[in-house]
Amino acid sequence: MGIIPQLIANSIIAGSTYALVAVSFNLVYGVSRAFNLAHGILGTVAAYMVFFLAEQNGVPLAAAIPLGIAAAALAGWLLELYVFRPLRERKVIDKVLIIASLGVSVAVEGIVAILFTNQYQSIANLIPHLGILKVGGAAVTSVQALIIVCALLTLVGFWLMLSYTRFGRAARAIADDEEVAKIVGINTPRIIAFIAVIGAAVMGLTGILAGFDTGLEPNMGFLLLLDGAIAAVVGGIGNIYGAFIAAYLLGFAENFGVWFVSGEWKYAIAFLALILCLLFRPQGILGRK
Amino acid sequence: MEYLLHLAILFSIFGIFALSLDLIAGYTGLFSLAQAAFYGIGAYTTALLMADAGVNFFVALVLGITLAAVVAFVIGFVFSGLRGDYYILGTVGFNFIIFTVFLNWQSLTGGPLGVAGIARPELFGFSFSSSGSFFLLSLATLAVAYGVSWFIVRSSFGRVLRAIREDEEAIAAFGYHTLYFKLAIFVISAGMAACGGALLASYLSFIDPNTFGITSSIFLLSIIVLGGLGSLRGPVLGALVLILLPEALRFVGFPDDIAAELRQVLYGLLLVFLMLYRPQGFLGEFKL
Repeated sequence: MGIIPQLIANSIIAGSTYALVAVSFNLVYGVSRAFNLAHGILGTVAAYMVFFLAEQNGVPLAAAIPLGIAAAALAGWLLELYVFRPLRERKVIDKVLIIASLGVSVAVEGIVAILFTNQYQSIANLIPHLGILKVGGAAVTSVQALIIVCALLTLVGFWLMLSYTRFGRAARAIADDEEVAKIVGINTPRIIAFIAVIGAAVMGLTGILAGFDTGLEPNMGFLLLLDGAIAAVVGGIGNIYGAFIAAYLLGFAENFGVWFVSGEWKYAIAFLALILCLLFRPQGILGRK
Repeated sequence: MEYLLHLAILFSIFGIFALSLDLIAGYTGLFSLAQAAFYGIGAYTTALLMADAGVNFFVALVLGITLAAVVAFVIGFVFSGLRGDYYILGTVGFNFIIFTVFLNWQSLTGGPLGVAGIARPELFGFSFSSSGSFFLLSLATLAVAYGVSWFIVRSSFGRVLRAIREDEEAIAAFGYHTLYFKLAIFVISAGMAACGGALLASYLSFIDPNTFGITSSIFLLSIIVLGGLGSLRGPVLGALVLILLPEALRFVGFPDDIAAELRQVLYGLLLVFLMLYRPQGFLGEFKL
């Protein structure tokens, strides 16, 4: 049988996780132009919300998971309202937004660490009978299968939303040119806030799924974001389809890379891919110049 | 007294780091989140040469600075074409790669266990083993770093750097080869950071990879953003405030582990509020 089927499965699982992060990151970046380094921390917030409700207080998962996602969405909305919107209205340069979002990420991570300690926590025992699927010689847990399904559904959902709804067309208009969109009567702050909430909810879901799959740590969101942001840039910043493709490429590059060297080199491989891409194709796979 | 000296030494060393970052971020507009990687290179080179090969501190220091400068030259060249947000992401990546090297090249760096038994500097038979003498050495180094920065900033070279920060295309149109200027200051900055890193390694006598992760780079950035970008007194003041802050928290009565997290929360919030309400920091002349 060999190790290849499992490596392929692991690559697809990792790629799906990155895809969820990268696609939501690029959706938000597209309309708000915010290179939001605090995007990942929303996943941490959601995952710890589930941990707090379900693991510590016995709330059923059916309620805890939606509440976790809602917490991330709320956090994303507040962030847009009180940090990004004021900065955007002042027309600051992009570095200010990045530094501010980095500050948010660092601060929230610290708060989570104070509330729940810096230790690794597990919530996998909340699902007592975690099924394992055998697909072509590879073992995939049901959570991992769910991650793959969610990544595909998210992409299709975003595509339908952006292509076929009034709201989606307005969002694309803003992504094209915010000033012009405003002139033709689009309520741009409202649409941007909605998109921020949707992006945050998807990131929250990703954090929860990753929490079930690999466990919780306060820096989990930032680490997820690093891979997601790399995929977002490699795919073409602001382009959700490019981000999706790049996420899977990154998943394969990392997993086949660690086949040759040890697993700790994962981020080195990812960033090497990023740096190479920035040098030779700075606009990304599907990006426009 | 010993405790005050400890804080004073940390302040001097972080003052050096902050000045080195201010030269590129504050004066040239290159927002690098890789400064911890460069002082890590300085620290590890010095530590390994001293602990494994018994090389004198000052020889090891020069070699550490040289290595950091060479790496900075290559990296600065690679990143020279990146704009704004990509530059930041690229430097985050570089810091991660260097961190991974420290962590995983176990045969050389000791991996997660780090390097222990790093000696204090010795010069002509005099050892800087007491805290007082080490403090004087690090303060003198800070003074030299300040002087070098002052000289750079006042020179015509420094004026070109500021022009690059304000409008790189305009200054390029005047016939300045901006790449050379950016590379030069990036190399100088890395060398200065490595010098501080060597002092840090020798002072702590033990280093491990965690001291040189991305968190440290973010911490340095908050120091200079707080103090004020594009001023020389600002980063030194920022280093003083952010070194004393956790100690103040401890005095108020927070337990040590909470104080560490609380410090992280505070400097994160500090970054957000400064960006929202006072982007030039306390003493900065450069408003982002």
